[in-house]
Amino acid sequence: MILISISRIIKFAMQDFIRNFWISIVTITILILSLFSINFLIVAGVISEAAIKTVEDKIDLSLYLSPNSTETDISILEQELDSLEGVTSVKYISKVQALEVFQSKHKDNKEVQDALREIGQNPLNPSLVVQTAELADYSQVINSLDKLSKHDIIESRNFDDHEALLNSMNTITGKTRQAGMLVSLIFIIITILVVFNAIRIAIYTHNKEIRIMKLVGASDWFIRAPFLVEGATYALVGVISIIAIFYPFIHLLQPYLSTFFNANDLNLINYFNSNFITIFGLEFVVASLINIVASLWAMRNHLKV
Amino acid sequence: MINFENVTKEYPPNSKALDGFNLEVNPGEFVSIVGQSGTGKTTMVKLLIGEERATKGKISIGDWDITKIRQREIPYLRRQIGVIFQDFKLLPRKNLFENVAFAMQVCGHPPSEIGVKVPQVLKLVGLENKMYRYPTEVSGGEQQRVVIARSLIHHPKILLADEPTGNLDSINAADIINLLEKINKFGTTVILVTHNKEIVNSLRRRVVTIDGGKVISDQKIGKYIL
Repeated sequence: MILISISRIIKFAMQDFIRNFWISIVTITILILSLFSINFLIVAGVISEAAIKTVEDKIDLSLYLSPNSTETDISILEQELDSLEGVTSVKYISKVQALEVFQSKHKDNKEVQDALREIGQNPLNPSLVVQTAELADYSQVINSLDKLSKHDIIESRNFDDHEALLNSMNTITGKTRQAGMLVSLIFIIITILVVFNAIRIAIYTHNKEIRIMKLVGASDWFIRAPFLVEGATYALVGVISIIAIFYPFIHLLQPYLSTFFNANDLNLINYFNSNFITIFGLEFVVASLINIVASLWAMRNHLKV
Repeated sequence: MINFENVTKEYPPNSKALDGFNLEVNPGEFVSIVGQSGTGKTTMVKLLIGEERATKGKISIGDWDITKIRQREIPYLRRQIGVIFQDFKLLPRKNLFENVAFAMQVCGHPPSEIGVKVPQVLKLVGLENKMYRYPTEVSGGEQQRVVIARSLIHHPKILLADEPTGNLDSINAADIINLLEKINKFGTTVILVTHNKEIVNSLRRRVVTIDGGKVISDQKIGKYIL
């Protein structure tokens, strides 16, 4: 009996969905716009995270060592640096490697090549290149250098502080996110109002049926449930539509991102594929809840059972 | 069976539709409730089907005190009371069979049961040959008979007819009253709310007259006295 009732509730909900076809289409369109803005916010988040990561990866701390440093001292220093909190890698670059890198970097610069020849020996120092997990860890590492037992072999250090750049990136990202959230919030409010109106119209359209249902003893939940199912159907169709719309959109976007981020592994399609259930499942649940709340609100005001 | 004890129904700000209303209807009776417009007849119907709540007093059906009825019990009450109104309240997009079947569908009856019961009840009201016609394809009297068929589908103990002949000509009206009498003979209590003098007088049944929200006359074999 319950299964029969459920199937009839779904049937009534679908009948209403089709009977008020254009209202249903408008409601779903607004819902799609809300979902698009939310998904766009996710894309913006992924891109900004990737951009910050790209900049962070380029930051390192180079410690230039005295040319007279022994292999043992360098090795001790390397181990001590490696054991510092937040340090993810310590890379040793010997004098020879440093010269090779320098020469290849300036192979087309005749003046530099001539100057090197003039000097007649390798003028570059060996160095240790330190990378940390977080940007904030660099200042800690720099502060800890004096406490290391072999700190006296460090002649100089080079730390390009990208913190200002990262901070401004974070600020822009934060503001973009805030603006996106505001737009999404506006769309969500519009969605609630449109769903409320759609269900209100559905109640008016079904006025006669509802009256008869009440007279012949249909239960409250049987009268109300089709409108809730209708609200959930809007959510389902909306989410299916956004999947159909959003994938082509990120397919179009991906080549531009690949060029911009170069070798970086920013792949929006993979990101959405691997988080498919979380993103679209959650969107369906939240959209259904919003629609059900709007439907309940409409029923409370316009459906006296 | 049905008992109104000192029932008062007030509507804000200070209008009384029923004022100390008392009425007892026994099982299997055929009672006509008569009175002019605005005397409280329809309020009485609404109180009986749980559409309105009494301000004071007690209404009971058998042992069931419906003044204290919970919201979720109202559908069960309504399945025991068949209701017929003046406006036929049929769904124009459904044929006669579907209109009656709708009452069973919304209460969760399986299709197999619907397939058996609906033709039976349509036969009872004499529409077995027109069950696949649409409401607009039959007369007003036939439409009202469909409503009666629909109200009988749950085998109610009480049939409440609020001005069932109001929109019908005298021949169709007589047909409907004959049908109500036939249903009453099967044991269903019939309460006929009307202001049709001819019908009331021809019935020669109990007549309760209401005025100002009170019963002013209760005759065992009565006449329309207003």
